[in-house]
Amino acid sequence: MAEVILRQVEKVYPNGFKAVHGIDLTIHEGEFMVFVGPSGCAKSTTLRMIAGLEDISDGQIMIGNKCVNNLPPKDRGISMVFQNYALYPHMSVYENMAFGLKQQKINKREIERRISDAAETLEITHLLASKPGEMSGGQRQRVALGRAMVRKPDVFLFDEPLSNLDAKLRVSTRISIAQLHHDLKAEGQNATMIYVTHDQVEAMTLGDRICVLDQGKIMQVDTPMNLYHSPANKFVAGFIGSPAMNLLRATVNQENDATYIQLDNGAKFLLPSEKAEKVTGKIGQQVWFGLRPEHISLVAPSTEAATAQEQNIELTYIKVVESMGNEMYLYCALGQEQIIARCHFDPKINIQHSESHYMHFDMSHCHLFDIDTEMALVN
Amino acid sequence: MSTQSIDLPLGNYQVQQQQADKKQKLAKPATPVSTLLKSASSLLVKHSFLSFAGLIMVFPFVWMLSGSMKSNDEIFSNPLNIFPEQFRWQTFVETFESAPFGLYIMNSFTVAFFTTLIVMINSAMFAYAITQLKFKSRTVLYFIVMACYMLPGAVTYIPSYITLANLGLLDSHTGLIISNAASVFGVFYLRQVFLKVHPSLIEAARIDGAGEVKILWAIVLPQCKAALATLFLITFITNYNSYMWPSLLITSQDLNLIATGIRQFFIAEGNYGLNWSQIMAASTIAVMPLLILFIICQKTILSGIADNGVKE
Repeated sequence: MAEVILRQVEKVYPNGFKAVHGIDLTIHEGEFMVFVGPSGCAKSTTLRMIAGLEDISDGQIMIGNKCVNNLPPKDRGISMVFQNYALYPHMSVYENMAFGLKQQKINKREIERRISDAAETLEITHLLASKPGEMSGGQRQRVALGRAMVRKPDVFLFDEPLSNLDAKLRVSTRISIAQLHHDLKAEGQNATMIYVTHDQVEAMTLGDRICVLDQGKIMQVDTPMNLYHSPANKFVAGFIGSPAMNLLRATVNQENDATYIQLDNGAKFLLPSEKAEKVTGKIGQQVWFGLRPEHISLVAPSTEAATAQEQNIELTYIKVVESMGNEMYLYCALGQEQIIARCHFDPKINIQHSESHYMHFDMSHCHLFDIDTEMALVN
Repeated sequence: MSTQSIDLPLGNYQVQQQQADKKQKLAKPATPVSTLLKSASSLLVKHSFLSFAGLIMVFPFVWMLSGSMKSNDEIFSNPLNIFPEQFRWQTFVETFESAPFGLYIMNSFTVAFFTTLIVMINSAMFAYAITQLKFKSRTVLYFIVMACYMLPGAVTYIPSYITLANLGLLDSHTGLIISNAASVFGVFYLRQVFLKVHPSLIEAARIDGAGEVKILWAIVLPQCKAALATLFLITFITNYNSYMWPSLLITSQDLNLIATGIRQFFIAEGNYGLNWSQIMAASTIAVMPLLILFIICQKTILSGIADNGVKE
């Protein structure tokens, strides 16, 4: 298995559009790396450049200590699973899986062995004689996985492989892919996997590390937990997490040795001392103030009167209530600002829209970003 | 954050929705009689039009077949009869014996077959190159081909004749095959078909290690069987029935194709004057191999591309 290194990789299309702006990235041997980002962020282009399906305009791509810039896809030691399966429609499942092996001139017995092993792992043995047109979407995707597996590549590439599946099948296939990665590791094949998705749930659950991209640039590369809890910039903070982090313009103020974050509407939140120390240079300046919805909680109506005067509690006007069963998303107005709170469902509290309620803002989890560079000041 | 997905517990909602749909269907009023009459009359108009169009298409063939079994006077009798008074099957035997039909059919078949084979190979390769390979001049190449499409065939006769004369290929089947071995229609038609092959299939094959010729042969062509059968049939029929160009190129009697053969024996130099029943019978004999070929190809042409193996 192999390490994949991207050095200052650029992609400029013939019309002059620069899709990828000098990406530097090292994907370790056996690592499950996920490329995530909004549409048009160049995540698929980057994957296709690694695969050799797209030329690179500048930079260097190394797979297993070998520069593969000028190598055709077949010589890069990769396998790819496509979003639309890309199974050869006129061939049976067996023939689909055997096609690549036949090109490598592998002997018939070995081909049979590999296909039977992969089919058993993916539970598609009964489908080996079927044609792709006779199978469901989930079955086709498993065949596409099998076709990638039998080639025993150094690097597996996945281009949004679950996008065409329904919600339930997406979950089960996602688990299958994670299982496959663990199984291959257990068998001694330290499979490097690169997975492209726009779905952050897939990214968070599958990736050892996640590379967040925007407009052809890397925004942050880190573990899922670090991305969530310590976003490097405002883009990552807003992109990772569902519902999205609340991001509001605010000013850093100091009164009586205490540092506050003050919104334009006058609402003031006391910053804990360990966070306040990091923004001493920003007193009187504007910043982006970020707080995740789960860190804004509803103050129980019975205690509202008593707590109204306490720190970090503000009166909000609830515009929409989305009930998810175990929890609720409250879309509220805080003066002119719109915020989202995520609260556990409590049958004793009846929350309706068009009501005003006090909310507690847990400032120990707040994030602050520079207003110009949008880089994190406080996490 | 429009790109996030949330798995919502839709189970109960879907069941309720299905029940509501069922109720709606049950409550739907019966289709009124006027609507039924309207659809029946539109169906009748459609079928009448198609039957009429079909009759126009099939009439020349039926007329040829019935004419081959009539006497010369009966063909021009007034009023015209579709069915002959007496079926003269003997005309076919006499016609077949009066000229070397077997040789002419064989000549036409050989020339048409090899021309079609070469046309299919080079059209497929050219169409593959301009649809699946990335190179700068591919659009220019395509427009050059399309420009050739607009050139009248007759304009090319003299330069082609001179070229073949210089190559010493006049009055030979090889010359005939070579001069027809490139088809602008073939390139245009296969280009349109190959554009419909999903690019991810080609990319998957490239990753699987297949070369471009292998991809064309093992991945692209099997998915375009219907188009290939159509192109084969059209090219074969065109070359089999070809008259003008072979009549300029071929001068030896034993190298004649069927169309020029029929003309020479029954119209220009024939011993029978204008014996229309024999001309009709000769034409029927000439058309038979094409009909058999069409029957063989028909199933493939109609089958089309059932499933392209990718999810759109």
